[in-house]
Amino acid sequence: MEAVLEARGLRKAYPARSGPVVAVDGVDLTLAPGEVLAFLGPNGAGKTTTIKMIAGLVLPDAGQVRIEGRDPHRDPAALARVGAVLEGNRNVYWRLTPLENLEYFGVLRGLSAATARRRGRRMLERFGLLEKARVLTQQLSRGMQQKLAIAVALVHRPRLLLLDEPTLGLDVEAAERVKALIRELAAEGQAILLTTHQLAVAEALSHRVAIIRKGRIVAEDRTQALLAQFSGEHYRIELAVEPDPERRRRLSALGARVEGARVVYAGEEEGLWRVLEVLRPLPLVRLERHRADLTEVFLRLVQEEADA
Amino acid sequence: MLRLIAIEFKRGLLMLRRYPVEMAGQLVVITLIFYGLFLGARYVAGPAAQFGDRLDALIVGYVLWTLTMFAVGDLSWGLMSEAREGTLEQVFLSPFGPLRVYLARNLAALLVVLAFNLAILLVLLVLTGARLRFVGAALWPLLAALLSAYGIGYALGAMALYFKRIQAFLNLFQFVMMFLIMASLEQAQGPARLAGALLPVAPAAGILRDLLARGLPFDPGAFAVALFNGLFYLALGLWLFLRAVHLTKRRGLLGGY
Repeated sequence: MEAVLEARGLRKAYPARSGPVVAVDGVDLTLAPGEVLAFLGPNGAGKTTTIKMIAGLVLPDAGQVRIEGRDPHRDPAALARVGAVLEGNRNVYWRLTPLENLEYFGVLRGLSAATARRRGRRMLERFGLLEKARVLTQQLSRGMQQKLAIAVALVHRPRLLLLDEPTLGLDVEAAERVKALIRELAAEGQAILLTTHQLAVAEALSHRVAIIRKGRIVAEDRTQALLAQFSGEHYRIELAVEPDPERRRRLSALGARVEGARVVYAGEEEGLWRVLEVLRPLPLVRLERHRADLTEVFLRLVQEEADA
Repeated sequence: MLRLIAIEFKRGLLMLRRYPVEMAGQLVVITLIFYGLFLGARYVAGPAAQFGDRLDALIVGYVLWTLTMFAVGDLSWGLMSEAREGTLEQVFLSPFGPLRVYLARNLAALLVVLAFNLAILLVLLVLTGARLRFVGAALWPLLAALLSAYGIGYALGAMALYFKRIQAFLNLFQFVMMFLIMASLEQAQGPARLAGALLPVAPAAGILRDLLARGLPFDPGAFAVALFNGLFYLALGLWLFLRAVHLTKRRGLLGGY
């Protein structure tokens, strides 16, 4: 399938008194239709600069961006294929109503006023904002304003949606609604580049993860593959009683560690069965294979890089 | 482009309507100024008073002053406010590009200001029964002055885009504009006369003074100079603005305030 986004060798340095500060250094990203890529990194790692280079808002020093084969820095038609919700911005006019914002930005992105109005109404209906169509945006809740910003970013039906911290500052319910919306959009074929500090959100929504640190991508893979890679062969067995000394000795000989009523075994699946044989017939409470979450992966990767 | 102008016109009107007190205030000020002019209070016209004593001259002078001031500051104030509020980058995401969007926005805003002024003027003409004998030729130098003023407006807009906070500089520019409109350089000799042809807005203001205050006939030669002056400054302003867009994107300064 043809990539919606292809960014190659993006580099950006900003001037500073002590010499240029490299914000982004050789970043490559690709995104296919229907794919959600979580672009993660600590503060100042280069996420926003990368997103803005993709959106044509920051000129790269080197490298290139292609959105369906078009360069957003040279070909304005490429911008008609992008929608963006940028962090720290209102993104919409608070003195206009949701419908007026959708009509205005729709025309600004190349639609006729009538088409923008028609699609705007449909978007409001879909995003559960129809009854607020004529309320001033500044009077809407933070969650509704964020949904409106996403609706405005989508009114011209872009192929690529850039979401910079879309759930930041939202309460649990509003964040869940935005997450559900992102899932739906991806299922319809929308390519989404998502940055967030909320790693549980990234884990729940993304097909792929790219982690950036000090301007460089330190890991990029399918989300599940990355989680599996960091999960390892690591089992935890909880018992209702503590094993007796004889069992403890045999477990230790198999490489298992006993902590009270808990046995931790790091090894192959075959070895696990031998551990279970030793434990038979003690009553089991729980047996689980350790699974890393994205927070653990993120912290380990960022820490490893820092130590390197 | 027409589509853009239409939607910007609508946006401008909607934004105005959302602050009815602010809009009413503007209408009251314009009404009082025109009414004052009708009653013969020349001083309310400010720098316009030097375009002659006749009512039509005062009105044309006043319109020149308000429109050029508007043309000079509109873009910069808009850019600063959008950078502060966080909508600037969304405007820059338009495939039309910032130049076309802001040209459409400026034109739409100018139409709104003109419509306000004309509507109030017409109402007052009806209410007071006064009659005006406008010199039709005055429209041409007015247009040339506006081209120059928008050129300055785009040059200042370039600064606003890059530096974000240029309020003090914009306020200072009121006095620069006052000098450009009021200094009768068309009557000067030597280098000052040459400066009168080269400085923005000045040649157009000179033609207006000739037409309205001195009663001289329309001089096509002088108008050609004023028109060339207007086009030159507009082109320069647009070029500077485009350079600023490029530089601001290169330095990553678009979203900051």
